[in-house]
Amino acid sequence: MQNTPSDLGLIARAVGLGKRYGDGANQVVALDDVSIGLRRGEFTAIMGPSGSGKSTLMHLMAGLDTPTTGQVWLGDTDITDLSDSALTVLRRRRIGFVFQSFNLVPTLDVKGNVLLPFELDGRRPTLDEQVWIDELIDTLGLRPRLGHRPHELSGGQQQRVAIARALATRPDLVFADEPTGNLDSRTGREVLGLLAATSARSGQAIAMVTHDPIAASHADRILVLADGRIVRDLGRSTPEQISAYMLQMEAAA
Amino acid sequence: MSRGLRDHLPTLLVAALAAAFGVALLQVTGILAAVIAADDVAGSSGTVAIMLNVTAFVFIAIAVYVAAVTTANTVATVVAGRTRLIALLRLIGSSARSQRAAIAREGLVVGALGAVAGALLGTGVAWGVARVGVAAGVIPEFDYGYLQPVLLVPMVAVVFTTWLAAWAGSRRVLAVRPAQALGNSAESSTEEVARRVGRTATGVTLIVLGVLALAGGVAVGLLYPMGVLIGVVGGILSFTGIVLIADRIMPPVLRAIGRLLGSSPSTRLAAENAVRHPERATRMTIGLVVGVTLVTMFAVTMETYRQAMTEVLSDQEMLEAAIGPVIDGTVAVFSGLVGFSAVIAAVGLVNTLSISVLQRTREIGLLRALGFDRTQVRTMILAEAAALTVAATLTGLVLGTVYGWLGAQSMLGSLTGEPRFVVPVVPWLVIAIVVVAAVAVTLAASVTPARRAVRISPVVALAVD
Repeated sequence: MQNTPSDLGLIARAVGLGKRYGDGANQVVALDDVSIGLRRGEFTAIMGPSGSGKSTLMHLMAGLDTPTTGQVWLGDTDITDLSDSALTVLRRRRIGFVFQSFNLVPTLDVKGNVLLPFELDGRRPTLDEQVWIDELIDTLGLRPRLGHRPHELSGGQQQRVAIARALATRPDLVFADEPTGNLDSRTGREVLGLLAATSARSGQAIAMVTHDPIAASHADRILVLADGRIVRDLGRSTPEQISAYMLQMEAAA
Repeated sequence: MSRGLRDHLPTLLVAALAAAFGVALLQVTGILAAVIAADDVAGSSGTVAIMLNVTAFVFIAIAVYVAAVTTANTVATVVAGRTRLIALLRLIGSSARSQRAAIAREGLVVGALGAVAGALLGTGVAWGVARVGVAAGVIPEFDYGYLQPVLLVPMVAVVFTTWLAAWAGSRRVLAVRPAQALGNSAESSTEEVARRVGRTATGVTLIVLGVLALAGGVAVGLLYPMGVLIGVVGGILSFTGIVLIADRIMPPVLRAIGRLLGSSPSTRLAAENAVRHPERATRMTIGLVVGVTLVTMFAVTMETYRQAMTEVLSDQEMLEAAIGPVIDGTVAVFSGLVGFSAVIAAVGLVNTLSISVLQRTREIGLLRALGFDRTQVRTMILAEAAALTVAATLTGLVLGTVYGWLGAQSMLGSLTGEPRFVVPVVPWLVIAIVVVAAVAVTLAASVTPARRAVRISPVVALAVD
């Protein structure tokens, strides 16, 4: 018998994960037999060149797409064969998302966007959750912006709202896809610092896809993908170390 | 160009429908005139033919007007979707003016194709109806040539208005900045709401003059039935004014209707989506408002007239029995003719909603990623369509009832010889048909976009283009 993922202190786990598109001679292997575990409260960066499969890995682990082979667990739930509606509820309650851009619903104000996951669930935040949301809003400096629509906010402010929304339901896991890709470097650093600090305090795991060594240097752990496989599992590293490693990988390719 | 062509299919359909309607109506009018002329004993067939033609042209003008508004809206929506492409061409060095001229030219071509297709279709329909009529013995065999120069009038009108509508609808091209081709700028929902102070002033002036004339009509109508003629002038003036300032009327109505939809996330987003482009929403609904207002107005006036006649003729059952079918027939024919404009407007609404849902692919992907399930997405699209049709129908029913009553009051206020107050009679059957039609439009408008929307995978929200 295998151990349940939570016995291993893992919040999410993938075993023998593969994703192929097309068939025959045109088959493209986006992900090839990847097995990883993401630990509770850990900030993991997923790196790799374009086409290395990092986005595919994230889609599969977040229940946005279904794998060709292998299995995915979120906590103790095997999500591999869940129906679309079960996956939808799972995303709503247990996963938070921060995307590179187009994170917010343009017709809702900041408050509406942050509370959207609760509304989708047909409930209001509990008293305890409301305290947490207020804290998030203050920490992220969004209090004066609550009534603003996304187009009235700067890029950095929009990303902060996305972080507040992603953390509001205290999900098991937050997926961030190039969250700083559209920001200037100072704002990017600030946003990453906030993301890391806030999630560290609430014990949430973060998986961040990025190709920016500076962004990855905020992470506790760095997974590097190439050609659909994990080629390196690094601990906390400096931007210089990460850059050097990535360059070395490029040269070897 | 294949993309350009696909973008213009809705416009082609609308142009063809308008041209078919105009040509069919003129052909049928011509056939009727020919039949009457062959049977002319009173020597009045010339007058009858002119009157038939004038009536036909009123209906054609309404249809062409609605078609033009619809087309302007479709083009504006298409342009909004092409922003990136236009920006890229601007970046390479194309001028905004030449871009806009290209879209107007596309409008001209589409209008011409639609006019020809519509003329063939309309003539075919008229020919078919006439043959069936002759075969059934309803009308005698007649002598009529189907190639009438007058048919060019609706055709040219359709070509010209489609061209003009494409030009008007492409105004936004001028606001596209070349820099928009670079970077994935998030949608700025600040569609420049140009404060058209002049238009609003004209609209308000027309409404004030129209209301004065309507009041005058009612006052004069208490003494003489001719008061209704003053009322008609007032009706035309005020309704034109209302159409001119529709961009100030429809968005608040849509917001109010949106609040009634409920407070679930899907319906709240739907309510917001219905008004996120106020200009677009106004043009999507105004055609339906025109159609529903005219149908309701006419039905209310005729029903009130019937009621008044029944009271006056209560001791003459023969006359009463004769008037009934005439009123029913008139209401049916008129509703059918005006209703066709509403059909064109509905086609436009269906298309515009489809296109705007396509343009929101990314946003729907985001909602799916955040936990919107398929049912909620479908509900959202359905509720948006419902908000638009309900707002248009309700506005039309209210305006139509008011105008209908004013018409009846000024026509019948002096009926019994002493000034009296006429109680409006609401024709429930017509109202029921309008409501059923509105429900049908809502469903038709939402079924395709909803099917597309539920197929959108949440992965598209993460894709960086």
